[in-house]
Amino acid sequence: MDRDFDITRIREAARAAGMGEALSRRGFLLLSASTAAAVTALGLCEALGADAPLVILDNAKGMILADPTRCVGCQRCELACVEYNEGRSQPSLARIKISRSLNFGPGGPGGAQGAWGNGLVVQGVCRQCPHPVPCATACPNDAIRLDPATGARVVDGQACVGCKLCQRSCPWNMLVFDEETQKTTKCFLCGGSPKCVEACPADALRYVPWRDTTREAPARAASLSLITPEKTASCLECHVPGRPGTVTK
Amino acid sequence: MNSAGEDWEEAAAEAVREASRQGRAVSAAEVLEALAARGFDVTSPDAGEKAEAALRAHAGLACFAGADGAARYHDPALLSATYAGIMDRKASPTLLMAEEIRANSREYPRPVPVELFEAEPFGLTPEQIGDALRAMAENPAFEDIAFTATSTGAVYLFSSRSLEPGYAKFLAEHAQNLAMNP
Amino acid sequence: MASATGGFAGKVLRVDLSTGAVSTESTVERYLDVLGGTGIGYRVLWDEVPAGTGAFDPANKIVFATGVLAGTGVPCNGRTAVTTIFPTCWPKPLVGSGHMGGQFAAKLKYAGYDALIVEGKADRPVWISIRNSQVQIRDARGLWGEGIRRATLEISREMGGECAVAAIGQAGEKLAPMAIVANSVSHSAGGVGGVMGSKNLKAVAVQGDGAVRLAGDKGEWERLVKFHLSILGGNNQHVVPSFPTPQSEYYNPGSRWVGEPGRRWGAAEPPVEITGNIRDLNRIAYRTNSAAFYLGANAWQYTVRGNGCTGCPIRCHTIVKVPSVAAKYGVGEMGQNTCAGLLFGRGFFRKLAAGDKSHTSLEACMLGMHLADDLGLWCNYGQLQRDLIKLYYDGTLKAKLGAKEYDSIPWDKYESGDPAFLLDMIPRIANRQGELGAVLSQGTAGLFTAWSITERDWSQDKETAYWKMGHPKHHANEDDGQCGVIINTQYNRDAQCHSHVNFVRNGLPLAVQKRLAAETWGSPEAVDAVGDYTPANVYKARRAKWALIRKELHDSLGLCNWMGPWVASPLKERDYGGDDSLESKFFSLATGLKTNREELDRMGERIFVLHRALTQRDMGEPDLRSRHDTVPDWVFKDANGAAPFSKGTTRMDREDIAKAMDLFYEVMDWDRATGAPTMEAYARLGLQDVGRRMQALKLTPGTRG
Ligand code: SF4
Ligand code: SF4
Ligand code: SF4
Repeated sequence: MDRDFDITRIREAARAAGMGEALSRRGFLLLSASTAAAVTALGLCEALGADAPLVILDNAKGMILADPTRCVGCQRCELACVEYNEGRSQPSLARIKISRSLNFGPGGPGGAQGAWGNGLVVQGVCRQCPHPVPCATACPNDAIRLDPATGARVVDGQACVGCKLCQRSCPWNMLVFDEETQKTTKCFLCGGSPKCVEACPADALRYVPWRDTTREAPARAASLSLITPEKTASCLECHVPGRPGTVTK
Repeated sequence: MNSAGEDWEEAAAEAVREASRQGRAVSAAEVLEALAARGFDVTSPDAGEKAEAALRAHAGLACFAGADGAARYHDPALLSATYAGIMDRKASPTLLMAEEIRANSREYPRPVPVELFEAEPFGLTPEQIGDALRAMAENPAFEDIAFTATSTGAVYLFSSRSLEPGYAKFLAEHAQNLAMNP
Repeated sequence: MASATGGFAGKVLRVDLSTGAVSTESTVERYLDVLGGTGIGYRVLWDEVPAGTGAFDPANKIVFATGVLAGTGVPCNGRTAVTTIFPTCWPKPLVGSGHMGGQFAAKLKYAGYDALIVEGKADRPVWISIRNSQVQIRDARGLWGEGIRRATLEISREMGGECAVAAIGQAGEKLAPMAIVANSVSHSAGGVGGVMGSKNLKAVAVQGDGAVRLAGDKGEWERLVKFHLSILGGNNQHVVPSFPTPQSEYYNPGSRWVGEPGRRWGAAEPPVEITGNIRDLNRIAYRTNSAAFYLGANAWQYTVRGNGCTGCPIRCHTIVKVPSVAAKYGVGEMGQNTCAGLLFGRGFFRKLAAGDKSHTSLEACMLGMHLADDLGLWCNYGQLQRDLIKLYYDGTLKAKLGAKEYDSIPWDKYESGDPAFLLDMIPRIANRQGELGAVLSQGTAGLFTAWSITERDWSQDKETAYWKMGHPKHHANEDDGQCGVIINTQYNRDAQCHSHVNFVRNGLPLAVQKRLAAETWGSPEAVDAVGDYTPANVYKARRAKWALIRKELHDSLGLCNWMGPWVASPLKERDYGGDDSLESKFFSLATGLKTNREELDRMGERIFVLHRALTQRDMGEPDLRSRHDTVPDWVFKDANGAAPFSKGTTRMDREDIAKAMDLFYEVMDWDRATGAPTMEAYARLGLQDVGRRMQALKLTPGTRG
């Protein structure tokens, strides 16, 4: 992204968001939270300087919504995700997760779901989490960024060093590690035309406007977020210690 | 053109397409009604003829003679002639069944199980089916309509214009056996 | 040929259970010319298993092989061919293969293998664990005696829930020739379970995380996959729905495409209503409901969803939930299967077998699936059930079984059509209990060997549907006249070929079928209306050849011959044509080996001829025509005495069938007198080594002493 951003556009956006001329760095963050993608497109975070940690504040625009009662466990979504993006057939690399629930459900062998249980297959989909985005926050290299087109949280392959810390941080185990490239990858909403949705023969997947679904499904895994001191410090830019939940004005 | 500047012929075709999307073929008269509703002047005495000519000439549309003898138009890409014909004949269960039986005997060829007519899109009740069969038996216009029963008692209907009774019986038995011959 | 850069997983895995040795070989270097699947199976048997080897001898080998397109997004892949010396083949075991879908094929590919060859015999029960490059022979003593369900569960606990487990049940352990191996709940390969049992092999479990590479451009691949999806119909490639729809010009009440708006998966929670346009590619999975097709529209209310093989949008293994069965018989409330597996229970009862669609039928089917898919019993395409009916009602059982055994069987329940009868009968056969269990678990072959019933008793009687060599017809003259007959003469078990029947049953009007036939096989005379047969002609022989080649191709590419080939489509804009070169297009893109339809068909023919040579070698018989390619007497009869070629009979004419065989041998380049492949045929197909061996054995035409 272009670092020489136009300060006047930021000012305009700030005014539009009722922020007046208060262009502190903190202001930028708040501004971003309220004006969403319009400002993101300006390369806001990177404008803060090469060393500033990246914190995603904007919500995604879209997300994949899955209906488990329709899922026929065909894995065509998984196959489409990898075949049409990477050009190979490898469900283990898919950014939508079916295989792991196919036989017994998320509970594993003996679980009540899946083909050996009640038949239900609950698809694993990325929730494109709101701030603080667990995977992006966990990345010590700021490799998980926001796709301006869709708001998807995407792994920048150039920046990813393959440490897998993001994988540990996702409560739903939605990041996958590509042994071939030695990088992590995750759902990037296919730039706005999701292959999985198109591929589903049972109409079980939809691409819908984003809303927060992170509280609707229990986590598959205890997430382990190791957050760098720089990022922790940046949290304090907005959040007052000792007053959880408040944001400084 | 109407006040919105729409082309008359195109609007007429669009009216046909709209009806096709809803699973119906329409007559020229119905098209004129739709055009009037869209602000076209359809009062001229030759409006009907003009509409018929325009619809017939339209490359994307097809037509068949409806149950009342008047032409029915549809867009075959949206609505097949088969389905349009079924919908058109729905008002008369006797005609509906007879034409469907004849078409099946002629085209595929095969007899059809009587339960077919209970299912959608036919949607006839067993009473309606019974009445229609009785009506056919009494009317020489339907003397070709016949039935055959399989060894398991399933009843199949066919038209003797296209199928010999023996062959119809065989085909009925064969159809009945398909689910036992996986 | 340039070297393949995709499609193949790369290696063939070999496990010697006698020595514990595990090794691999390069698929492309050794087996490229036979592709995979049955091709590899036949080649291994040809090269490594001497003639005369018995099915349960340690020298027999069992080859689990999939193909280039398995594990990819090609619709209707996911098949594994399990090739071995087949134990139900009578009077002498010969080569045969069972085929299973499910997750096994894809997992094997992702683990890096195109095939698994198991040889020798373990000295105690074992299972094979394959996790990518890690392969281990594991102790299965704790699993021995367990059903398939529990064995799968326990192995999955060790391997992780994502693995595919192909296991045998008690039937296989007890060396019943009529035993299956099954994976993914309901996907089984018949006849091979006992061979695993004879090797002390309880199961093969695979977990694979790797990739199947695609050599071609991914955009091109995506376009071809989508095109393929667009020409799919419902199950068995029935290209018209069973009801009129606004979008269809044609329909067929007998179609397996039974899903339509208004129907619903009634046992899903909450129920799923079918809405919208059923021709939409996002609704392909709603077209097929095997439970509703076989058991009647009532089954919709018990339907949870469709299920099936990796990557297949058709989902022919319908999952049903019937709590009342669970309560009544004390079995699980869930069931899933398709075709013969679905009908396993109902078929035993004379009362229900004739297409009964009552709730009792459904209960019988639920019980049948539950028992057979756990005990691992095979039905030999319904022959087991037909045999029991005949043996009971003609008094044979009473005569052959001791009074004590006979009286211990609840025949009252049998006669009244009470499904509870199955709780006695299925375990009895699977566990090989008593005289009845010992004999019926051998299949029809058991009747001929143990009870001195003659084959004629069966081949005269149309009701048995018996064809030859211990096995029934599989889409013969009743579906496809001479074409069906020719196909049914070729294998050592039931023919399992669907290329031909999927076309004749596709639901299009005869005139459209004839037009497509002219385009594909050179003349509209290649196909007749069912029961309105015309005399044999060369186009029918060509179509039979095509059908057999496509069957072997599908079995060797990992594709489903229950769905393919795709010469017809639901698309009016294509004049209902499909694409007969689809397989070669996919093969080319996946492997990077540019191969056209004719070239790929030649490979299919090579595989088919290898099967022929193997059959002939192991029979040691120069004259296959009269000793192998036989047709049962009932084919030449009609219950009402109708003459062959009269309208409304499937009766064939002996001379005409002889002519059909002449024409077939001619188009195959085989000797007319003996039906043996000629040296020229072997050479043309790149099977010179096989030809020379056959010549040395005096089994090629003109080499008889
Ligand atoms: S990968 Fe996980 S943490 Fe990251 S956005 Fe998706 S669901 Fe949230
Ligand atoms: S939207 Fe694209 S990247 Fe995300 S799961 Fe679907 S196919 Fe994969
Ligand atoms: S493509 Fe649809 S039906 Fe198939 S596994 Fe994915 S979500 Fe389920």
